[in-house]
Amino acid sequence: MSEVHPTSPAVQVDGVGKGYGSGDRRVEVLRGVNLEVRRGEMLALVGPSGVGKSTFLHLLGLLDQQDSGRIQLFGQDIGLLTPRERARWRNLRIGFVFQFHGLLGEFTLQENIAMPLLIAGSRRDDAMDRARDLGAVVGLGHRLDHFPDQLSGGEQQRGAIARALVAGPALLLADEPTGNLDAATAGAVFEMLQKLHLSRGLTSVIVTHNASLAARCDRTLRLNAVGLEAA
Amino acid sequence: MRALLLLAGRYLVGLRRRTHVAAVSGVTFGAMALGAAALVLTLALLEGFQTTIRRQLTERGVHAELRPRSGASLPGGDWLQRLRQRHPELELRALSGGAVWCTSDGEAAPAELEVVDTLSRVEVNRILAASLGVGAGAPLTVASPRLVLTPLGFAPVRRTLDVAAVTPLRPGEERAVLRVPPELGRALLGLQGPRRVEVRSPDPALAWDVASRVQGELPDDVEVVSFRELNRPLLAALALERVMIGFGVALIMVVAALNLLCNLALLAAEKRLDSALLQAMGLDSARLRQLFLLLGVGVGAAGGLAGTLLGAVGAWVLDVTHAIPLPAGVFIVSHVPFRPTPGAAAVVLGISMLAALLASLPPALAVARRSVVEGLRYE
Repeated sequence: MSEVHPTSPAVQVDGVGKGYGSGDRRVEVLRGVNLEVRRGEMLALVGPSGVGKSTFLHLLGLLDQQDSGRIQLFGQDIGLLTPRERARWRNLRIGFVFQFHGLLGEFTLQENIAMPLLIAGSRRDDAMDRARDLGAVVGLGHRLDHFPDQLSGGEQQRGAIARALVAGPALLLADEPTGNLDAATAGAVFEMLQKLHLSRGLTSVIVTHNASLAARCDRTLRLNAVGLEAA
Repeated sequence: MRALLLLAGRYLVGLRRRTHVAAVSGVTFGAMALGAAALVLTLALLEGFQTTIRRQLTERGVHAELRPRSGASLPGGDWLQRLRQRHPELELRALSGGAVWCTSDGEAAPAELEVVDTLSRVEVNRILAASLGVGAGAPLTVASPRLVLTPLGFAPVRRTLDVAAVTPLRPGEERAVLRVPPELGRALLGLQGPRRVEVRSPDPALAWDVASRVQGELPDDVEVVSFRELNRPLLAALALERVMIGFGVALIMVVAALNLLCNLALLAAEKRLDSALLQAMGLDSARLRQLFLLLGVGVGAAGGLAGTLLGAVGAWVLDVTHAIPLPAGVFIVSHVPFRPTPGAAAVVLGISMLAALLASLPPALAVARRSVVEGLRYE
């Protein structure tokens, strides 16, 4: 895997553009977006629906590729990575939390949490041990044998956070992680997210529509048609 | 690979929320199993019948034939006598003959007269016996095309003989045949050298090697025709029958494979979000493709294996229990013979795997090409 530079910003985005479609149907979602996120920072990204927040997060998470500009994660230009290296980065260096929990229905919570480690090639016993430990950290130690459809919305999202962190990533990307939860549950889940962010020395970029939750982050940026600006 | 096996196994067996996919997987498994079982049973049936036919050929037929390279008669000399001395384990019968008319009790029929140098009695085959209504001990009058001068003019040579035995038909024998010792043959047809020599081994298993045993000990103007060459049309027909029927029945496997393809495509659609999530967690496209290949080949291999076992056991039971009897006197066997062989089972398993692999490729390639982002939006 490519070497990570220890002193570089966690995220460095320069003039990134992204569009969909072609010809008359071409829609430019992002134009010349610039961003720098310090290591250990918790950044909230807000903005109206459809402005490209999720698209931007997908670019940072190596789930999609920009049309123009450059993205560096921990000093590594991700545009230079091979498909296999991108997969390896997603596996070990980036944790992704989605608005929907994204747990696999055929697997227990413990297996779901262990899945990134299993994909990385860890032994099943080791992966399951680490999943059990992290499940306990997020308060789901008693629910590890349950399947996702047997968990509440808050439990599902806490399980998803545990899964995102089990491989020890340096960057956590969350796309409206509390969007499907009621206010009280959302607050609790966000608080847990903050604790894990601090205890694990993460760099986090969180897309949210919830202004009060965004206010609890180190910095909030608003994405609009002209790019990112301080909220 | 550990993660892929876990995922494939759980998707095949678990399918906690997608019971209709599980049912379709079950149907696919059953289709592959039925196809494999049908193919194994068919091949076992063909092998059973063909083995019987080949056994009949080796037990009743001629294992090799010595013929003149040119002309109608074999060369003279003591080469045949020497051949008999060198190979006492082989039966060599020198034959000559021609066409005759046979009559008995007012019935008349043309027949092929075979003069056999090792024969000491008169034999008729079943066709001649049936057409004249004669059996062992019955008198039979033979008129040959050889003419002799009588007070009334030229007349054919006639002899009245006692039939000693009615012999079963040899493989491929479709004409009326009368077999007589040499002295009777000379009386009916005059002096003739043998036209051919039939060679047989008492052990039918050696039929295929008889020609090579005598090959190097023959005069230059005598050629040996092997068992395989003597029966080439029939053996070729048997091989062709096996290939064509096997191919026809194998089409069932193609149908089952198409069903597998549809099932995998359905599973790929059902698991679109899962596929995207797995890729977001670090599963690369190549391994995602492997996962769906594993799923397809897993169902195909399991179905093929189950069907092969089912077919082999079924064929064995049908054969041992004589479950399908045949009318006596019409067929050469009393029941429909099944003979499952390891080779046929291996072929069926191979076909199952190949069909499953080919059927799995399109959906697996399609899944691996999908956009992760599109998959995540699927929810």
